[in-house]
Amino acid sequence: MEHERFHMLMMDALDGELAAEQQTELESHLRACPECRQEWHAILAIDTLFRQAPMLSPAAGFTQRTVALLPSRRARLWAISIIYVLLLLSGILPILLVVWAANTVVPLISQPAFVESVQQVWAQVVRLVGVIGGALFKGLGELIVQQPAILGWLLVLAGMVFVWNGVYRQLVSQPTAVSLRGNN
Amino acid sequence: MDEEQVWLDQARRGDKAAFGKIIEAYQRPVYNLAYRMLSNSGEAEEAAQEAFIRAYTRLDSYNPNHKFSTWLLSITSNYCIDLIRKRRAVLLSIDEPLPPHPSLMSERASGPEPQIMQNEQEEMVQRLLAELAPEYREAVVLRYWHELSYDEIAEMMDTTVSAIKSRLFRARRQLAEVGMAEGLIPASEEVSLF
Repeated sequence: MEHERFHMLMMDALDGELAAEQQTELESHLRACPECRQEWHAILAIDTLFRQAPMLSPAAGFTQRTVALLPSRRARLWAISIIYVLLLLSGILPILLVVWAANTVVPLISQPAFVESVQQVWAQVVRLVGVIGGALFKGLGELIVQQPAILGWLLVLAGMVFVWNGVYRQLVSQPTAVSLRGNN
Repeated sequence: MDEEQVWLDQARRGDKAAFGKIIEAYQRPVYNLAYRMLSNSGEAEEAAQEAFIRAYTRLDSYNPNHKFSTWLLSITSNYCIDLIRKRRAVLLSIDEPLPPHPSLMSERASGPEPQIMQNEQEEMVQRLLAELAPEYREAVVLRYWHELSYDEIAEMMDTTVSAIKSRLFRARRQLAEVGMAEGLIPASEEVSLF
């Protein structure tokens, strides 16, 4: 702990911030303590070495080489401006479209004549579907009354489909049933 | 308005020649910081160039209330620390000889004795600096070569003055230990603060 205090004094001495009495105190400690004295000599030698080392310069032509690498600030500013304008437009465009639609389409839709015509078209479509459906049912009923054999043939066909369905199921499931029994 | 401010205003408007004058004025401190941090002249030149390019493209974010040199050195040291972190796996150890600066190398073979001694001292400086952690190295370089105050270093490194004093204290002790262990420091029995 005592040595730490003298280490701090050594740093202050290097920075030239040591008071006269602190300097005397440090010097007397260094005379008495070989460990701190050795460290002080090493720190002082490093300090001298670094203070003597010159500030180095780059190779000749550094400025020209670096200026040649500089990007164009004007081009960069243009690019940034264009990006800002595009972003602004991309935000404004949908709003403009909505406003345009509101101004042009909504007045048309909200006109009584337009609403009435839409209702009329819808009613005509419903009526047409009803007429076609009714005509189909009516025609089928009249055909069955005039030609009852058709109904008979339809019943026969349905019966045949039912029977063949049963036969098919038997044929498909048969091998499986045999193999299962064989295993047992 | 001083000359530097005029150049900066012109550079902000895209005048590369004006920024060239800024480069001319600051190339030495920027390059020196990069070289002391990276210990390699090729990398130092690239780092210095990158620092100037970054400063040029970010001129709008520079606050004229602060010193331009401090802002520029801050960009340089941050870039160098990023480089050091990226190449940490292949960091040079003190056992490997570091390549000397080219301006010293050309005079090495045939140079007079004082020049050879200076070259050896320069190599020793870089070997010692390479032993320090990047943040400690940065504080040492800014203090010794750029003669910045503790306040300026703290502002640059975005920390407190006491943290900087602590880093310098630890860095100097570490350098002293390495110097003694490597026999780089001559023994002396005299006790003098000067």
